Amino acid sequence: MTDTRPTSEEQVLKHVREQHNAEPPAHLDALILNAAHRETPAPRQNLWQRWLKACQKPRYQVAFASLVGIALMLSLVQRAPEPVAQFDFAPAAKPAAPGVRQEARSLSAPAGALSAPAPAPMAEMAAPMQSESISADTADEAKVSKRAAAPVNGLDAQLREVLRLRESGQSQAADTLFNNLHKRYPNVNLDLRLEKIRKN
Amino acid sequence: MSRLKGFITQLFASADSLEASSDESLLARYREGDGRAFEILYARRRQSLYRFLLGLSGKPELADEVFQETWLSLIRSASQPQGRATFRTWLFQIARNRLIDHWRKHGAWQPLHDSYDEQFHAVSDDASDPEQLLNLSRDSQRLESALQSLPADQREVFLLRAHGDLDLAQIASLTETPLETVKSRLRYAQQKLRRLLAEEVLT
Repeated sequence: MTDTRPTSEEQVLKHVREQHNAEPPAHLDALILNAAHRETPAPRQNLWQRWLKACQKPRYQVAFASLVGIALMLSLVQRAPEPVAQFDFAPAAKPAAPGVRQEARSLSAPAGALSAPAPAPMAEMAAPMQSESISADTADEAKVSKRAAAPVNGLDAQLREVLRLRESGQSQAADTLFNNLHKRYPNVNLDLRLEKIRKN
Repeated sequence: MSRLKGFITQLFASADSLEASSDESLLARYREGDGRAFEILYARRRQSLYRFLLGLSGKPELADEVFQETWLSLIRSASQPQGRATFRTWLFQIARNRLIDHWRKHGAWQPLHDSYDEQFHAVSDDASDPEQLLNLSRDSQRLESALQSLPADQREVFLLRAHGDLDLAQIASLTETPLETVKSRLRYAQQKLRRLLAEEVLT
């Protein structure tokens, strides 16, 4: 059985704790507590409250508006207008056109994804000027109405892609794409057109 | 995530949970703007700190001054106990430093910095009869003079143990003294006090 009686040293400690009963003066208590209340830090606002507060400041409003404006501009500029494929002579091309372009890109991707990026949207947008000059020369395309300009432009872009693929040594992908174009545009002399694009 | 957790805890915290909070979390809550947390913290530690300062300085005016300075510096600073230090050791450390600063500023002798040979000052204590312990003087005046008769560094260790309720390792860390030295200082202080208080009763 262990002795639970405190040792003599512990008794001295206990005795002093009990007998040494000085208290800080009341005026010190009041002074310290008043100071503590006076200098209590302002409660920290949460993220939402800080956000709302920031939104009320004019300079932040200007900054946010500028950011939104830049984001809108970038989204408009970066957005590639999808060529609407409307053919008088080949109505089936409309749903197929984007798919084929994707197929051509996917074919070229493994070998030249880094070195040869897909044609930029801006390049596709710039194509109408060239296509109009080509269509003026060829008899076949002279029959194509103005409404057909958009798909023809898309065709030119894809022919340029064929050329690009051939130049980069991906002849298999180029041939596949070219054959697909043959199937989709049976009435167009693709060889001649390709030659003209190459010369230009 | 932890901030969110803290916010939710704070939102639903009752007064009871505040009372049960540790010193460290009370201080943290005060730093975040909870004035009530400081009241609890102050009520919890005011007595022990004051008694320590009064016992160590031996002068009520000086104890008042250092006590006030200690709490005000705690209120005004944004710091918290660092590392493994508890709030108690941190608080007593601030108070001790303030007292030493005061002594230094007024060119007073700094008893805590004076090298002291415990062996030389130790008096052999044969009064180990437990019955005699029950007769320790209850006169606060006598107790005070007995405390003041202790060498300052023994008194400091004893007061930190008695009023600060710090363990020996904490006292060693706070006073930057080897643990063995702290142990012997405490032992000699207790022996001497027992002898002085018992003698007072017997005479």
